[in-house]
Amino acid sequence: MTVITSTVRTTARRWLYWGVFGAAALVIGLITLFASGANRPLGVPLDPDSAGPAGARALVQVLREQGVAVSITETLESTREAIGTDAATVVLHDRAGILGETSLNLDGLGEHLVLIEPGYDALEQLAPDVAAAGSVSGELEADCTVGAVERAGTVTGDGLGYRYHGDDAAVDVCLDSGDDVASLIRLERGGQTVSVLGAGAALSNERITEAGNAALALGLLGEHAQLVWYVPGVGDLPGEDAASLTPTWVTPVLVLLILVTVAAGVAQGRRLGPLVVENLPVVVRATETMEGRARLYQRSSARQRALDALRVGTVQRLASRLRLPRTAGVQEFVDLAAATANRPAASVRELLVDAVPRSDSELVELSDRLLELEREIARATAP
Amino acid sequence: MALSMRFAALLAVGIVPIVVLTTLSDGAISPTWTTLAWLGLVIAAAAIDLAAAASPRRLIVERELPDRVRLGEPVQARLLITNPGRRTARTLVRDGWQPSAGASPARGLLTVPAGERRALTLTLTPFRRGERRSEHVTVRSFGPLGLAARQASIGAPGAIRVLPPFHSRRHLPSRLARLRELDGRTSVMIRGQGSEFDSLRDYVRGDDVRSIDWRATARRHDPTTGIGQRLVVRTWRPERDRRIVIVIDSGRTSAARIANEARIDTAFESSLLLAALAQRAGDRIDTLIYDRRVRGRVQGTTGSDLLSRMVTVMAPVEPELIEMDWSAVPGLVASVTNRRSLIVLMTSIDSPGASRALLGMLPQLTRRHRVLVCSVTDPAVVAASRSRGDREEVFRAAAAERSMLDTARVAAAIRQLGGDVVTGPPPELPPALADRYLALKAAGLL
Repeated sequence: MTVITSTVRTTARRWLYWGVFGAAALVIGLITLFASGANRPLGVPLDPDSAGPAGARALVQVLREQGVAVSITETLESTREAIGTDAATVVLHDRAGILGETSLNLDGLGEHLVLIEPGYDALEQLAPDVAAAGSVSGELEADCTVGAVERAGTVTGDGLGYRYHGDDAAVDVCLDSGDDVASLIRLERGGQTVSVLGAGAALSNERITEAGNAALALGLLGEHAQLVWYVPGVGDLPGEDAASLTPTWVTPVLVLLILVTVAAGVAQGRRLGPLVVENLPVVVRATETMEGRARLYQRSSARQRALDALRVGTVQRLASRLRLPRTAGVQEFVDLAAATANRPAASVRELLVDAVPRSDSELVELSDRLLELEREIARATAP
Repeated sequence: MALSMRFAALLAVGIVPIVVLTTLSDGAISPTWTTLAWLGLVIAAAAIDLAAAASPRRLIVERELPDRVRLGEPVQARLLITNPGRRTARTLVRDGWQPSAGASPARGLLTVPAGERRALTLTLTPFRRGERRSEHVTVRSFGPLGLAARQASIGAPGAIRVLPPFHSRRHLPSRLARLRELDGRTSVMIRGQGSEFDSLRDYVRGDDVRSIDWRATARRHDPTTGIGQRLVVRTWRPERDRRIVIVIDSGRTSAARIANEARIDTAFESSLLLAALAQRAGDRIDTLIYDRRVRGRVQGTTGSDLLSRMVTVMAPVEPELIEMDWSAVPGLVASVTNRRSLIVLMTSIDSPGASRALLGMLPQLTRRHRVLVCSVTDPAVVAASRSRGDREEVFRAAAAERSMLDTARVAAAIRQLGGDVVTGPPPELPPALADRYLALKAAGLL
């Protein structure tokens, strides 16, 4: 008695080579991936915690090294807590569009409030005289007396542009890209400096080292010893969110159900023994030849040939029924058939010999008449 | 290793403790930890179960199997599983029969206590002729909890030979009755039934006066009485100890299916009926299955052994996709017998082109033997020739008439060459062949 299934040990030994090979390939692939840097995700745009090309972690790190206390907040409440009483710069970057859905009172956030690419709602509340003016791209030259901009010289302007509609001469409108569209507008409002910065790309990890971007960013954000980077999040939304309404056991139960599905799949999918092989017989339908010939007749409209075949069949059956010898002549046959069927000999001869089918309908009609003649003669000769 | 559905069900039951504990403790017990704990518990239970399962590798599998079965008839096969180990084996067993062996049930649950033997009974209903095999038996041995199982396939080759069905045996009793009439074993005795002189007996009223043997009557004149002349008649019986050689074509054309039966199967049916009949009539039958080499040969077998030998030889033969080599057939027949015999060729006569080799060889056989060519006709062709509803059907009818004409031409050619032809649709060919044989026998033409 032999056991066909190999033991766990032999199976492991057999797969060892391929296992080692596969693992080596995986390791080499991962090393290549990390070395080429292709794995780094783009990151959330201007996320102070993201090291991806779009994040802003580089700026935050440099600010921290320069002795600025940077705190990152996601709710207005924690922002106010973080600001405390010291002079602080507050960066407001509403990338999720939270401000549009809430009515937060943003007044008096820090000494210097920097709005990065603000939307309509933020502008209306904090800088009512500034309006969005589409997107901007390309390098912008320093053109105002704001210290940070002067030090920067040129700045990457990719981002949004803004226009100032007010008439306060003290307002600094900087980094003009033509048509009165500015990328930095600095204004005083209720004892607080508000900077509207459209050139968000200049702060990203990818671009901060280009041109004077670093000087602009550090100058704007490093003004005070404290920086609060406020990104409005779900905590600012009114009411309870979906997460707090669902019971805590829902996620574990879902995970468990997935595991149950996998276990059921494994249980049902395990085959009970190897497949059984069976040689199947060839199946040849005997009528294939006949069908093929019929299609050939039809495709080439071989009406005469088809009718002749039908006639020969009829004549053979009639000859045996009329007890005519195989050597009987055509006229002899026609005469006897006509006499038996009680029809004029000319019409029988026309049907059996002379008629030429000019269309398919004529062919069908002639074949029907042949059958009818057979029936008549069968009736006449029946005992 | 294999998991059971019970394992998945047990895992699913974990929803209850997760929900209940979290709700009752009002979030104090973390549902994540409950989930992990349940998962660990179930996996540990499965591991213990797996460790406690009896090894399927140690089981000893034996078969109790009849070696032959007629196609279409169910047969019982037993699978004996011995457990020499010390643990009870709770097993799910699958016998690896080929699908056409028609094994049912496909799998069976069997509990074999330690040191004992249990049987699993399968019913095999094969639906294909030939040798049906099972190479292995797969055993899945569950642990006491039924959560996890060990699985192994054990090589236990078994085979059953599926014989041709011989449906045509229902025609046998009526043909045997006809044969007995020929033989003179019934009360009816008519001169002319048979040609071999059998015996002389006294005349009884009703006998044909033409069969009175005057010479024998004169010899039997009783001198003591001098009167009451006792007439003597001759009786006749059919010839006995004639030879019949059946040659079955297993080439390309015999694979064609007519009325859902391969030509070769109809040929087998016809041969079996003829052999059964001829064997009772006292003739000797030799069978050859041939295409380019001999696929089967039953020679020199007589008595009741003949039919079982024939079906056994026929069982594994399948049509080959090669052309029949007719030129070798006369030599083959000569190797079987030198006496004048009835040669029955089981083949197909479809078109003059395809039958050229057969027609070319035929004179060599007809010179010495009586040849009967036996071919299946297709009822579908006849039906097609009669149905002429529309254009498409008329063309089909024309093609059908054409192929019937071809068959008729080949049959006429065979008759011209001195052979004889028997044709019929699959269910009617075996009795038609038997009737032709009886007619030949009655006419003393064998």
